[in-house]
Amino acid sequence: MESPGVGRHPLADVDQVIHAPARLMVLTYLYVVESADYVFLSRMTGLTWGNLATHLAKLEKAGYVAITKGFKGKKPHSTVSLTMQGRAAFCEYRRNMQSVLGDLPE
Amino acid sequence: MSRQLSLQEAERRAFTTAYEDGLWDVLLGCFLLLFAVAPPLSRSLGDFWSSAVFLPFWGLVYALIRWLRTNMVAPRIGTVRFGRARRTRLALFSRAMLVINLAALILGLLVATGVGRVPGSVIPILFGLLLLIGFNLAAVLLGISRLHLYGLLVGLSPLVGEWLYTHRSATHHGFPVTFGTSAAVAIIIGVGIFIRVLRSQPISECGTSSEDT
Repeated sequence: MESPGVGRHPLADVDQVIHAPARLMVLTYLYVVESADYVFLSRMTGLTWGNLATHLAKLEKAGYVAITKGFKGKKPHSTVSLTMQGRAAFCEYRRNMQSVLGDLPE
Repeated sequence: MSRQLSLQEAERRAFTTAYEDGLWDVLLGCFLLLFAVAPPLSRSLGDFWSSAVFLPFWGLVYALIRWLRTNMVAPRIGTVRFGRARRTRLALFSRAMLVINLAALILGLLVATGVGRVPGSVIPILFGLLLLIGFNLAAVLLGISRLHLYGLLVGLSPLVGEWLYTHRSATHHGFPVTFGTSAAVAIIIGVGIFIRVLRSQPISECGTSSEDT
């Protein structure tokens, strides 16, 4: 419970699922494209295959990304896209960070 | 973080990564070859067939590029679908190219039919300007800076060709030399980028088979 008269610090509202650098990188790229496969995300973020899979699993569990599993020829091929919830959370995260960091002196 | 990461920069980086494989440069170079090779061929094949023989050649090159993108580039770079902002930009690019091509077609028809006679040097200047505008627009809209270089090379080709024709007795208005040079530059740059992509981006060891774990 907050003490009366003291506002909640904006950083307290920062989404911890998004705040991890690796997940933030993944979400940044997914925010600007419609969908991408694992290879593309791995190339863009520089994350290893296992690392990327772990972070995507966390984002999927939070409902921020949707992973569509399919096949390309005989090989499995999954594409990842941002959900509406993920897009809204990313926008909210951006606003929170801007409100905290935007006012800091140079 | 040493580099500023903006959403716009991230989108631009995603786009150039997805298409920066050099294969479109090779296709562009093969298109430019038409202007270099068709004029010398027209004496033996006629105006129509000297250009028409390029259709199967382009078809073959395009099929080869599609195959290389699917089997050699996609496993290395991955695949991506772009958002509405990029699709709008691409639609704008397509419309701009359509207008430029229509202007070039009208200019070509006016020259061919002899309507509105103009001094000899005006036509190459107008064609050069159209090409220059087209390539520079493409460079800005697609965010690919080397298209400025291609624009300069291709835009100057009709004018330099005309100069070579009148002052250095080059054949076919100098087109084989100037457009041949532009085509060679585009193909060499394209092949260079493609080889760099293949060497610097090996296929991931884990590959697609483990992604579903």
